[in-house]
Amino acid sequence: MPNLRDVKQRIKSTKNTEQMTKAMKLVSASKLRKAQEAIQTVRPYGHKMREVMNHLVARCNKDLHPLLDNRTGNRVLLVVITADRGLCGGFNTNIVKMAQELIEENKDSDISLFIAGKKGLDFFQNRPYPIEDKYLGWTKDFAYLKAVEIGEMLAQLFVDDKTDRIYMVYNEFKSIIQQEVIREQLLPIVPEESGEDMMDYIFEPDEETILEDLLKRYMTTQIYRAFLESSASEHGARMTAMDAASRNAKEMIGKLTLFYNRTRQAYITKELIEIVNGAEALKG
Amino acid sequence: MADKLFLSLVTPKKEMVVDAEVDQVNIPGFDGDMGILANHAPLLTLLRPGRFSYQKGDEEIELVVSEGYAEVTENRVTILAESAEFAHEIDHDRAEAARAAAEKLLEKADLEGEAFKEAQDKLFRALARLETRKSD
Repeated sequence: MPNLRDVKQRIKSTKNTEQMTKAMKLVSASKLRKAQEAIQTVRPYGHKMREVMNHLVARCNKDLHPLLDNRTGNRVLLVVITADRGLCGGFNTNIVKMAQELIEENKDSDISLFIAGKKGLDFFQNRPYPIEDKYLGWTKDFAYLKAVEIGEMLAQLFVDDKTDRIYMVYNEFKSIIQQEVIREQLLPIVPEESGEDMMDYIFEPDEETILEDLLKRYMTTQIYRAFLESSASEHGARMTAMDAASRNAKEMIGKLTLFYNRTRQAYITKELIEIVNGAEALKG
Repeated sequence: MADKLFLSLVTPKKEMVVDAEVDQVNIPGFDGDMGILANHAPLLTLLRPGRFSYQKGDEEIELVVSEGYAEVTENRVTILAESAEFAHEIDHDRAEAARAAAEKLLEKADLEGEAFKEAQDKLFRALARLETRKSD
């Protein structure tokens, strides 16, 4: 028969785990609320900016700015945005998977990586792709200025002709329980085809100045948005994962408790039988 | 011909500040203020920090915007601003303090290039706030 004390020990440790997952869920829930607000504010801005950008790029001369240079080299830089910590379901795995897929598709290219988040680095640091730069510990607080910095760095790499194409891979926040892995070409900027007629614009002060300014801000906004998307997704994923874990723990505690009680009852019955048998024997 | 404009004003800090059908939009453009009416020619301009307003019927609503862009296409006006505040939201004391700080910064003669421009921008933003608030 199983040892009762062991079962009791297991119930206790499962209860501890449950407490921890519950606490993590609550923490994620409150962080999620903030992150969700942030991403919902920045989205319309990013969207409109993309629109304006498209209008402008479709009209202007592609030689006006080096970031529009759609050259045919085969050096690809991947910006992979993961979390710093685990315990958030398939969040990090999905990103890594998508990044690998992208690498597979560009087999003939020279791949290099920009990794954000510790989990991404854990995976890629022992792979044969050079890591251009990394950015760890970002999930604690992500500042707009950091997006400016990253944007400038990436633009510089592109302008200096060190890479021909830059992709971003990140989780997009769909809802609390759903994230979607997105890959996006960041540079060079290629306008989406649109059917509208190409009326000429009046530019103030002039095309070049606007383009220069807009491109810079566009890069920053896209990067900023991607990081915020990822952050909201992470908290959502962690909340869902921890919720499931808490539920599993509860179920397990239920099962163990039932088992514990049954076993205890069996011991008691067994002891009773022994006593009764003993008494009977004495009578005889 | 349409006689209304569709205005959307977005900033990265607040969710869709304005999203409405209006009669006229007054933009602090790079080379000077301009009024946009319906059927305006396509236009793309940089914004400078300043007073921004739009008219809806008899009502005129005032805001202050900072750096950004304004695009006009087929009766749609899109304003992308780094920040925007309605005139009644402006904190006069804070704007005044920001102006004083920026002026102090500018008094230092050794500011160069970027730093000078930054201080100047700060001053412009503060002044734009104060101006909008006063005329309120």
